[in-house]
Amino acid sequence: MYRKKMFIILAVVMLLSLILTACEPETIIETVVETVIETVEVEGETVEVIVEREVEVLKDKEILIYNSYASDPAPREADEEIVQMFMDKYPQYDVIHSTINHEDFKQAIRAYLTASAPPDVMTWFAGERARFFIDNDQIMDISDVWEGEGWVEDYPAGFKALSSVDGKQYFLPTSWYWWAVYYRVSVFEELGLEPPTTWDEFIEVCETLKENGKTPITIGTKYRWTTGAWFDYLNMRINGPEFHIDLMLGKESYEDERVLAVFDAWRELLDNDYFIEDAAAYTWSEALEPFITGEAGMYLMGDFIRDSLPTEIMDDLDFFRFPIMDPAVLIGEDAPTDGYFIAANSQNPEAAKAFLAYLGSVEVQTYNAEKLGRLPTHTGVDRSMFNAAQQKGLALIDGADYVAQFYDRDTRPEVADMGMNVFMEFWDDPGNIARLLEMLAELDAYRMEVFGAD
Amino acid sequence: MVRLRRNFLPYLFLAIPIIIYLVWVIGPMFYTFYLSLTNWDGLSSPQFIGFRNYERLFTDRVFFLSLTNNMKWLASFVTVPVVLGLALAMILNRAVPGEKFFKMSFYMPMVLAMVVSGLIWGWLYHPRGGLINSVLVGLGIVEKGPGWLSDRDLALWSIIIVAIWRQVGYVMVLYLAGLKSINPEYLEAAKIDGANDWQVFRKVLLPLLMPVSVIVLVISVIDSLRAFDLVSVMTRGGPANSSSVLANYMYIQAFNNYRMGYAASIAVILFLISLVFIFIYLWRVMQDELEY
Amino acid sequence: MKNAQAYFKSPWRVLIFIVLVLTTIIWLVPIMTSLVTSIRTFNDILYRGFISWPEEITLGNFKTAWERGGLSRYLPNSFIITIPSLLLTMLFSSMGAYALARFNFRGNRLIFFTFVGGMLLPFQVLMLPVFKLTDFLGLYDTYWGLIFFHTAFQLGFCSFMLRNYMRTVPGEILEAARIDGCSEFRIWWRIMLPLTLPAIAAVATLEFTWIFNDYLWAIILLRSEKLKPITAGLASLQGQFVTDWPVIVAGALLGTLPTLLVFLFLQRYFIEGLTLGATK
Repeated sequence: MYRKKMFIILAVVMLLSLILTACEPETIIETVVETVIETVEVEGETVEVIVEREVEVLKDKEILIYNSYASDPAPREADEEIVQMFMDKYPQYDVIHSTINHEDFKQAIRAYLTASAPPDVMTWFAGERARFFIDNDQIMDISDVWEGEGWVEDYPAGFKALSSVDGKQYFLPTSWYWWAVYYRVSVFEELGLEPPTTWDEFIEVCETLKENGKTPITIGTKYRWTTGAWFDYLNMRINGPEFHIDLMLGKESYEDERVLAVFDAWRELLDNDYFIEDAAAYTWSEALEPFITGEAGMYLMGDFIRDSLPTEIMDDLDFFRFPIMDPAVLIGEDAPTDGYFIAANSQNPEAAKAFLAYLGSVEVQTYNAEKLGRLPTHTGVDRSMFNAAQQKGLALIDGADYVAQFYDRDTRPEVADMGMNVFMEFWDDPGNIARLLEMLAELDAYRMEVFGAD
Repeated sequence: MVRLRRNFLPYLFLAIPIIIYLVWVIGPMFYTFYLSLTNWDGLSSPQFIGFRNYERLFTDRVFFLSLTNNMKWLASFVTVPVVLGLALAMILNRAVPGEKFFKMSFYMPMVLAMVVSGLIWGWLYHPRGGLINSVLVGLGIVEKGPGWLSDRDLALWSIIIVAIWRQVGYVMVLYLAGLKSINPEYLEAAKIDGANDWQVFRKVLLPLLMPVSVIVLVISVIDSLRAFDLVSVMTRGGPANSSSVLANYMYIQAFNNYRMGYAASIAVILFLISLVFIFIYLWRVMQDELEY
Repeated sequence: MKNAQAYFKSPWRVLIFIVLVLTTIIWLVPIMTSLVTSIRTFNDILYRGFISWPEEITLGNFKTAWERGGLSRYLPNSFIITIPSLLLTMLFSSMGAYALARFNFRGNRLIFFTFVGGMLLPFQVLMLPVFKLTDFLGLYDTYWGLIFFHTAFQLGFCSFMLRNYMRTVPGEILEAARIDGCSEFRIWWRIMLPLTLPAIAAVATLEFTWIFNDYLWAIILLRSEKLKPITAGLASLQGQFVTDWPVIVAGALLGTLPTLLVFLFLQRYFIEGLTLGATK
């Protein structure tokens, strides 16, 4: 008796899962003009007449796979909305949209790309991280889209250069944002503090916050990239953006004295306990918590910090340029650019290009700029609609002599990984100079291996 | 004819399982050996580079750190849960009031997914709002609780505690089964000979439980070598690699840094270490077989 | 009550019992804490401290995790993956186990030991090749890719367990059937399987929790959001509600519910499954 039951259950489950696995493409009704030859009887004779008529045909929607790393609540909502808008506007496409946790996405991207049927369109970072995939023939040449959509004229030359290799465009940059030191206005006001512009003022602010029982600077280093921002800024402020970029490109040595100066400044902050305790226990967004409650004063972060803050404190939030340490040094800022690309092996390049064209349009960029407060790349977006923060961020970047992407976007991923390990170990025991030198030597040996000896 | 058919039959029964097993488990295992001799980055085709990956492993500080951490994990695993599990089994082997409830409490952690255990404990360990520090501060034991997962000296141990929390129930189950299978007459005989409880335990019970203990030890060793999920969810090996274990380091190398060939060589080392214990286990099984 | 009196006959026993109770409490703390956390709001905990009387009790966290966290979508996926994997594993391993247990043939030992060795394998070793293989077979990002892998990987353990159990079945029964002219396939299906049912139930219960709780393979072999099982969903929940621990914990509890129910109702089998291979 039980065997019969087992058989039935087995069969049902298998069938069910088969049905659920099978991805039925949706259909749309399309009107097509058809030419037919009809026979008509005219005065007793049969005559063939060519007639045109409109016919409604059932057509399978074209499937487009789109993987996105916009997993924080606000960007996710905007992302889903954009996909919906696209499908409403172009009903012939059916976008299969997956949102993957930001950190998981970064790890899975190679698996996505090398799969025989990769996602057609993916979110990604401009700069070295995209360059790597372009060099490995994993990203589709979309020069035709750039040409066809008029982006060549509508996008600033800087963004075009960022997307190009050997004169061909591979990447669509759609938004960018600035990095700055964010602070709680009420906390500063309460203690009579002004946003610092120089390093000495900055140290003074930290000291005052600390004396008043506040954590001067919050940071979460469970994912190590947040330390990259501190390295970027200290290096750019002390040694200038040119040295920084050369270091990122493997042209300068990590054993250079100038790099040691960066760690000296960093050590000063660590030794004085200006950073939050137990930073490594938090992700960047968990570290927001003391910032939200007002226990911590400042946070060096990208403008996406806004996505994760409760609306109540939005009015109490402001930012200032990372303090100037040496007025003689040119000003460099981190302003990473995000965007999209099409996988080289995309199964449906036409649909992917249509989607990309839509993503790069003024319409979508305007929507994103309004909804998320990112800065658009398309010059056609009306800048007068920018809010105060966007205006200020824009001014901050306009005032910079050089714009970098970010530590792990400007250098090769494997070097960045090792570099961030050094930052983390240094953070843990800043006084151990022998160990630091040893690690930097190791890192530099690896840099030479990866970039090839100079 | 019948003889022939019967010779051929077992292969018929085994055909599908063996094919599936070869394709999905054995084949991939050998492919990993091959990958460990290449510099595959996950994109371009793998290039053969001989034993370069292994040479590099020997100078890789993080690799040795991870290996040491695995050994610490192993050392705690073959002691704490084993002793605790055995003690609990001894206590619960008798008709204790509320026996079912007690057993269930210790089994429960086993049922939870590792991810869930990691999440729940991550919350307990939370430096500010978490229960552990709230209690420590609330009772005035410390002024400020430690950063369980952010302190280099504590992170690994904090994770091992979670692993032990899960493991004790398992060990207890095994010992309970072992105790059930012991003929009570042996114990009676020892008592009649004037042995006290401790002597009975040492001289009679422990030797009789030996076969179970071997299994428990081997399983503990293997589990501690396979440790991955908890580390991955709770610290990702941080801070500064202090809680990194081999499986996690391999995962990071493969999917974070895209050094697939190098990751494969870590996997091979992990496999070779496990192999020793797999053989001990097989040897045990073999002995059982010979008893037939 | 009599039971209790008989137990507490010596002061030692009382002491042991107290220690037992204390240990149990420690063991239950994480789960109890989660329960309490899941019905409070994050602000409540944040501003008043964890050890405080809750200002309000809410089931909203469960609702948030279920609806906005997408657990309502992930949970069915877990079943769609787990159940076929379980059935296939049990089917194939009982076939293999039958051959290994009841026939003498060349390679029996070797195959058996390969299965046993494989069940102890650090599965991370297989990560990269299995991903490539699954993609090669066109099964990447499908339920079947994951189902086949689970089936294959769990074969080792299940065959080992079932084989050991099948060896304890008296040979006379099978001989009798053979003399009656029963085909081997019928013997396996009509005689061996029913006799092995207790072992199958035990192993299946255990396997259910293992496959259901898998996280690593789900994130490696699946790409689409709509295919992901609950464990992968929980991990992305942490990405989504980063600071809202009550929602994350509520989600974790929801995700545990199926395995917890299986465990509570099939506890006997679960325990048998764990001990089957270790002691005989």
